[in-house]
Parts: sequence; structure tokens; C-alpha cells
Amino acid sequence: MVPDMTTNGGFEPVFCTVVPPHVLDKLARNDDPALAGPARRTLMRDSELRGRRRVTTEFALAAAPTAKAPSDRPLRTIYDAGHGTALPGTEVRGEGTDPGQDATVNRAFAGLGATFELFLKAYARHSIDGDGLPLDATVHYDENYNNAFWNGEQMVFGDGDGEIFLDFTIPIDVIGHELTHGVTQYTANLTYYGQPGALNESMSDVFGSLIKQYTLGQTAAEADWLIGAGLLAPSVSGKALRSMKEPGSAYDDDVLGKDPQPATMDDYVRTGRDNGGVHINSGIPNHAFYLAATALGGHAWEKAGRIWYDVLTGGELSDRAMFTDFAALTVKAARERFGDGGEELQAVSKAWEQVGVRIP
Amino acid sequence: MRIQVRRTGGFAGIERYAEVDTSGRPDAAEWQALAERAVASGRGTPPVGVPDGFSYQITVDGTTVYCSDPRLTDEQRRLITRVLKEGA
Repeated sequence: MVPDMTTNGGFEPVFCTVVPPHVLDKLARNDDPALAGPARRTLMRDSELRGRRRVTTEFALAAAPTAKAPSDRPLRTIYDAGHGTALPGTEVRGEGTDPGQDATVNRAFAGLGATFELFLKAYARHSIDGDGLPLDATVHYDENYNNAFWNGEQMVFGDGDGEIFLDFTIPIDVIGHELTHGVTQYTANLTYYGQPGALNESMSDVFGSLIKQYTLGQTAAEADWLIGAGLLAPSVSGKALRSMKEPGSAYDDDVLGKDPQPATMDDYVRTGRDNGGVHINSGIPNHAFYLAATALGGHAWEKAGRIWYDVLTGGELSDRAMFTDFAALTVKAARERFGDGGEELQAVSKAWEQVGVRIP
Repeated sequence: MRIQVRRTGGFAGIERYAEVDTSGRPDAAEWQALAERAVASGRGTPPVGVPDGFSYQITVDGTTVYCSDPRLTDEQRRLITRVLKEGA
């Protein structure tokens, strides 16, 4: 049995850091380099990030000029794991090269470009760290692997088993979702457990969906607001993995079960599984974003997306933020960017009210 | 020997569970050796893995250990794959 990690707020202090530092310390001293190497890199990265965030927040150095301005062009590299699990694998496509025969490689390459493009054009952000970080992705990870993830340094995509899931590079919002985990890591670094974890997941769904909408030139009214459309095999009863428009309606299948996402706080799921339900309760902030974006109309990345981005990167969002903390900051950001008494402030406030997140 | 594997998390957040009872199986010794090595390198508490990474709970005759992608040992990965594929 899974130990009961459930608490009143869906938040357990023991699991407050992405990987507890004491675990990393122990791993870093492990004799097995496969364990010690990543742990050492994570420890170094964590301390670097914490230092950077503190400096950025406390001394407002976010806009300080760097020695050399980062490029307006992405620096992408795609690797092929050859169905193994060693990362990153063999380099198969770099920047400035033409598409090859492998559609998976080409989709990953294009998806990285689309993600870079949205963050640059809509928010003047240079890559996921804001400083031109090269974008690396590995495809064909493991055999029949039904997943995609961000390992703290790069994206990893499985091919799917063909029975339940198809290739994880198919939906562009999945690629955007994984890269946005990188943006979150370099900014608010929301703890991947409970409500902050669900907010972390929601950030990835929001910007993943915006990347798709930006690429297709869609308005909020035209968008499908689905995450992972095209990822489920034809035999599965479902249209996608998550729906921001109607959380809980994405699939209902004999093998997969039913989409467990709630749309409002009334149906908040308290659980210790899935890191405290990070992929479940993300339905609530996802739906709030959808409500705000559709109330405002037009291109969702311009107003609602801008407000969410301001909060994620503004330095005030705590790594242990709860839904109410995040909601309060979006209201503040709407006021600061678009003015007091504007439709933006009204739409954002109403959206949180509709999903039952009360702003203190 | 009863080997149970529960996988949670992942991009889809969909849980999977399967178990294998090795008693009476011709390859029981092979399963047993693999399971013992997989458990030996597991952790007593769930590690919080990477965003969207799978988390695994392996229970062998009542003893439970935890591990997460992508930091699995070869034995853990092989055991998990076999149980989820061949188990019920």
C-alpha cells in the first residue's frame, strides 16, 4: 500500500522539495556513477537556481544587462535513444539542418522551435532559462514507452506502445508542456507535490496549449483547449488526456478508466498518489485559465497568457504556493499590467470565483 | 514469490498495477533473482521524481520499495517491464 501522504491542504512538508536534498546528498555519494552523476548535477543546479532566484527577487536584478544578449534563434539538438534508456543518446539533428527521414525527430525539432517562438514573440523570453539555453530532446526512449518527461536538463519522449498511446511527439502541446516544466524550474520552481505541484502541471498545460494556439493562429474561441489530442491510439475511447474547457471529459475508456480531473474546488481530490494528484487537481487552475481567456476573447497568449506569465516569472510566486496564492497574484498582475477596473481584472477575478478558489 | 508493481504519475497521470505469482512457474528462480536485486536497490520512501516521470512501487512478498524514472537500475527496469507486461 502507498502510505497515506494526504493532508488537509494536499501538501506534505516532507515532500516539499523536488527531490529532498538529503536524498540527493546520499545519492551524490553513491558508488554507482549512474546514480551519483545526476544527483551531483541536480545539487549544483539547485544551489545555482536558488541563488539566482534569491538574487533576482531580493535585488530586482532580473532585467540587469548581460554581457552578451542572447540570440533570437533557438539552438536545438535532437538525440535518438535507439529504444534504450541512456541519455541523451546519439545526436541525429542539429540547428540549421534539413528535415531527415524520421518524422519523430522532425516533429520534436519543430515543436522545440514553436515553443521557443511563443516565449520569445509573446513574452520576449529567450529560451527556457531566459538566457538562450540550448534546447535538447531525446526521442525513441526505451521500448513501447508510454510517457514523456523533463529530467531537469532536457526533454525525453517515448514512442508509445501503439495500443494505448501513440508517439508522444505527435501533439505539439505535449512538447510545449515538457519545455514549460523547464521554464517553471528556472523561475518559480514550484514544488512538484500537492497544490504547488498541480500549479506546476497547470503552467505546463496552459503554455503547452498556448503554443499550439499560437502555432495555429487560433483565438480562444477557436482553440480546442485539449492536452494530448492525437496521442491516444484509435481503439481508445477518448479525445485527449486532459480538457481545460471541461476537465474530467477527456476520456472514458475500458482500459484507461475515466478522466479524473476536477474543474472546481468542490471536487478537489485528496490523494498521496501521483505526487499528491499533480495531474489531477491541475484541472482546477487549468479551467480558471480557460474561463479567463475565453471571457477576454482574442488570442489567449496576449492577455490571460501574459498575466499568467507575469506571475510565473515575476519573482513573487513562492515555490510552495497554493491555489489561492497563485490566484491572488494573477489578480494583482492583471491590475498592474492592464489597469484597475479593466475587463482583464474582472475576467481573472471571476474565473477564480467560478472554480471555487477564494482570493484572500 | 508474489511480485507486485504499481506505476503512478507520468504525463497522463494514469495508474497501472500488475502482479506475478512465481510459485509453480518454470522460470521462478529467474524471477526471484531479478526481484531480489531490484528490491535491494530500491528506497524505503517514495522519491519525488522529475516532472511527468513515472513513479514505481515494487512489493515482493510484502516488502515494498520505491523508485522513479529516469533513475532506475537495470534490474528495476527489467522487473517493472516484465511484471506490467506479463502480470495480471
